Amino acid sequence: MTALLQNLDTLLIYVFAALALVGALLMLVLRQPMRVALALISTMISLGAIYGLLGVHFIAAFQVLIYVGAVMVFMVYAIMLLEAREATPTGRFSALALPGIVAALVLVGALGYGAWHGFAALAGAAEGARFGIQQFSVSFLNDYWLHFELTSVLLVAAVVAALAVIKAGRRTHG
Amino acid sequence: MEHALTLIVVLPLAGFLLNGFLATRFGGNRVGKGFVTAVGCALPFASFALALACLLRLQATGYEPLVETAYTWALIGDQSFEIAFYFDRLSAVMTLIVTGVGSLIHVYSVGYMKDDESYARYFAYLNLFLFFMLLLVLGRSLLVLFVGWEGVGLASYLLIGFWFEDPAKAAAGKKAFIVNRIGDAGFLLGMFLLHQTLGTLDMDRINAAFSAAALPAVSASLIGILLFIGATGKSAQIPLYVWLPDAMAGPTPVSALIHAATMVTAGVYLVARLSGVYAHAPEASALVAGIGVATALLAATIALVQTDIKKVLAYSTVSQLGLMFVALGVGAYGVAVFHVTTHAFFKACLFLGAGSVIHALSGEQDITKMGGLARRIPVTFATFAIATAAIAGIPPLAGFFSKDEILWYAFASAQGGSTLLWLLASFASLLTSFYMFRLLWLTFFGTSRMTPAVEHHVHESPLSMTAVLAILAALSAVGGFFALPHFLEPMLPLPPIVAALHHLEHALIGIAVAVGFAGLAAAAFLYGAGARRADALRRRFPLAHRVLFDKYFVDEAYEFLIARPLLWVSDRVFLRIGDRVLLDGTLNGLAAWAQRAAGSLARIQSGNLQLYALLVLAGMVVALLWTWSHV
Amino acid sequence: MDSTVQVLLALSVALFAIGLLGLVIRRNLLVMLMCMELMLNGVNLSLVTFAHQMGSTVGAVLVFLIFVVAAAEIAIAIPIVLLLVRRKRTLDIGAFTGLKG
Repeated sequence: MTALLQNLDTLLIYVFAALALVGALLMLVLRQPMRVALALISTMISLGAIYGLLGVHFIAAFQVLIYVGAVMVFMVYAIMLLEAREATPTGRFSALALPGIVAALVLVGALGYGAWHGFAALAGAAEGARFGIQQFSVSFLNDYWLHFELTSVLLVAAVVAALAVIKAGRRTHG
Repeated sequence: MEHALTLIVVLPLAGFLLNGFLATRFGGNRVGKGFVTAVGCALPFASFALALACLLRLQATGYEPLVETAYTWALIGDQSFEIAFYFDRLSAVMTLIVTGVGSLIHVYSVGYMKDDESYARYFAYLNLFLFFMLLLVLGRSLLVLFVGWEGVGLASYLLIGFWFEDPAKAAAGKKAFIVNRIGDAGFLLGMFLLHQTLGTLDMDRINAAFSAAALPAVSASLIGILLFIGATGKSAQIPLYVWLPDAMAGPTPVSALIHAATMVTAGVYLVARLSGVYAHAPEASALVAGIGVATALLAATIALVQTDIKKVLAYSTVSQLGLMFVALGVGAYGVAVFHVTTHAFFKACLFLGAGSVIHALSGEQDITKMGGLARRIPVTFATFAIATAAIAGIPPLAGFFSKDEILWYAFASAQGGSTLLWLLASFASLLTSFYMFRLLWLTFFGTSRMTPAVEHHVHESPLSMTAVLAILAALSAVGGFFALPHFLEPMLPLPPIVAALHHLEHALIGIAVAVGFAGLAAAAFLYGAGARRADALRRRFPLAHRVLFDKYFVDEAYEFLIARPLLWVSDRVFLRIGDRVLLDGTLNGLAAWAQRAAGSLARIQSGNLQLYALLVLAGMVVALLWTWSHV
Repeated sequence: MDSTVQVLLALSVALFAIGLLGLVIRRNLLVMLMCMELMLNGVNLSLVTFAHQMGSTVGAVLVFLIFVVAAAEIAIAIPIVLLLVRRKRTLDIGAFTGLKG
C-alpha cells in the first residue's frame, strides 16, 4: 500500500500527462471551435493537476484561476459571440498541413535531441524540494519586484489597448 | 619677331573662335556681319603679312630654316612629341600660297555669301580651315602635319555640307570625309613604321636619315607607298578621287580654296617634303608617277562631256593633280610645287569665275543653259579666258611654264622619265586644253540658251568679287616668271637628265605649245557656231558618251563592290547578331534572370500568416541545430 | 535523473510542438489563438518542472509573469480578432492576406 502511495504521485503525474497530451492532440482534429476550447480546458486542468502533484500548489491555483477562469472563459465567450460567422467552407486544415507536420516532427526531434544531451547537466540536483507560497512571495517581491512593476505597467497598457479597440470598434460600426 | 610662325598658325584659329562663338546663332548672335567680315578677312591677311616677314628673315639668314617649338605635346618614356613649326623654302612657298590665295578668297566670299543666313558660320569654318592648313604646311613633325591633315578633312566636311538641310549636300560632305579617312589608314601605317624604325617623326630628320650613308632598316619604298596612299585620299588620285566631284555641293569659294588651291595639294606637299625618302624609293616613285598619269587621263576624259560648270573644273583639278604627281614620280619635286603654285592661281581664278557666272545667272550651273555671256559680264569673261588659256598651257601664261617643265621631266628624267609617260601626259594636256576651251565656248560664246527669267537678271558681280578675279588673273598671267624650281633647287634638287635627250628640250617645248593651241582649235571647231558639230559627234558615239558622262560608273562600282557588302556585314553580322543577340541579349538576359529570381523569391511574401509561422519554425529548427552542434 | 522529470520535459516539448503545428495547420482564427495558448502552457510546464527540480523560485516567478502576460495578451488578441471578423465576415485565415507582396 505504501509503495502504491509513494508511487501514487508518479502514477497520477503520468495519468494527467497522458490526459494533457490527448487534449492537445484533440485540439488539432476537432472540427468545432467550442469543442477545441473544451479540449484545451481539459489540457490546462490536467497541467494544473500536475503542478499540484509537483508541490507548487499556488501555481496550480493560478493556473486554474487565470488560464481556465479568465483566459478560456473569455475565449469561450468570443466563440459564442462569433458562432454565427463560423462558416469556414474550406475545411479544417490549411494548405500547409503536410509541411507543417513534417516541420513539427523535425522540431520535436531537434528539441528532444537537445534536451536529451542536456539532461546530464541536471543530474545530481536536489530532488523534489518543495517551496510554498510564502517563500515564493518573499522571493518575488524582494528579488523580482522590478518585474512585478513592469507587469503592472503591461497590464495598464493592456487596459488602454482594450479601450482603444472599443473605440475603433465603435467607429467602424458607425 | 619671336613667335612669328606660331602667330601665323594661330591667328586664323582666333578668327574661328571669335566668329564662331560670338557671331553665330550658337553664340547668340552677339555681333553683326561687319564684325564677321572684319575679323574673318583681316586675320588671314595678317598671317600673309607675317609669312612675308618670315620669308624676308629667311632670306636674311641665308635660308637657314626657322624652327619654333610651340608646345611639348607629350613626354612618353624618353621620347618627346612636340608641336614645332619649321620654315624653309618649301614651307615659305606653301604658306604664301595658302595665306595669299586664302585671303583673296575670303574677300571674294564677302560678296558671294552676302545674302546667306549662315554668313558667320561660313567665315568661322573658313578660318578654321586656314588654321589647319597652316598647321599642315608649317608642321615640323609628321604628327603635327597629320593633325593639320585631319583638320582640313574636317573643315572640308563642314564646308562641303555647309547647306546641310539638303541631304544630298550633307551626304557629299560625309563621302569626302570617309574617303579621306580610308587613305589616312595608309598614312598612319607609314607614320608608325617611320617612328618605330627611326625613332622620330620630324620630317627634316627623316630626310636626313634616308640620305645618310647608312640606310635605315626599313624600306623607303614601303614607307613611300604607305604615305602615298594617304596622299591619294587627300589629293584625289585613283582610287580615292571619287569625293572631289561630289564636293562641288559646297559653296563655290570653298571649292576654289579647298578643292583647287590648297587642301588637295596637301598630298603633293607631303611627297615633296619627304623627297629624301622618295629619292631613294624607285618603286614608290614609279607607282606615284603611274597613278598620277592614269588619274590625269581618266579625269580628263570624264571632263570632256560634263555639263555642270563646277564638275568640269573638279575633274580638271583631279587631272592637274595627276600631272603634279607625275612630276613627283620622276623626281622633279620642285617642278611639282611650281605647278601647285600656278595651279592655285588659275584654278582659283576659274572657280571664282564660275562662281561669278553662277551668281550672275541666279544659281544656274548647267552650261547647256548658258551662252552669250561674253558681252554681258565682261570682267568675269576676261578673267575666265585668261585663266583658261593659262591652264591650257598657252605661252607666256603661268600654266605654260609649269606644265612644260613637267612634260620635259616626264620625258627626260633619269629617275623614271620615259617616252610613254610623256606621251600619256601630253595627251592629257591636249584633252585639258580641249575641254577647258569647250567650257569657255559653251559658257560665254554663241547664242544664249538661258531661260528668259534668268537672262533678264544677268548682272556683273560686285567689286569684292571682280577685284579678286582680276588679281588672280594677273597672277595667272605673270606667275610663271617666278622661277620657283630654281628657287627651291637648293633643298629640292632637280633630277638629272638623260644625256642623250638633252637636245630635245626645245622640240618638246614646241610640241607642248602646239598641243595647247590644238586643243583651242578643236574646241573652237566643235563648239563654235552653235555646237552643231559637237552634237553630231555625240550622236555618233552614244555609248562612249554615256560611259564618260557617267564617270566610268566608278561610283556605282564602289557602291556595289564595297559599300553594299560592308553594309550587309554591318547589318547582318554586327548589328543583328553581335549587338542585338550577343550584347543586348546578354544584358537583357541577365536582367531577366535577375527579375525571375526576384519574382520567385517574392512568392514567400504571400500574405499567408501560416506560411510565415512555418518559416519561423523552420528557422528555429535550423538555429537550434546549428547552436547545438557548435556549442 | 528522475524519470518523472524526463516525462514532463518530453510532454512540454510535445505540447509546444503540437501548439505550433496547430498554428500552422488550422484555418480558424480562434483555434489558432488557442494553439498559441497551448504553446505558452507547454513552456510553463517546462519551467515548473525545472523549478521543482532545482528547488529555486526563479522558475515559479517566471511562470507567474507568463500568466500575467498571457492574460494581457488574450485580452487584446480577442478584440483584434473581433474587429478583423467584423471587416471580413469570416474567421478563415485565408481571407486575411493583406500582408501579401
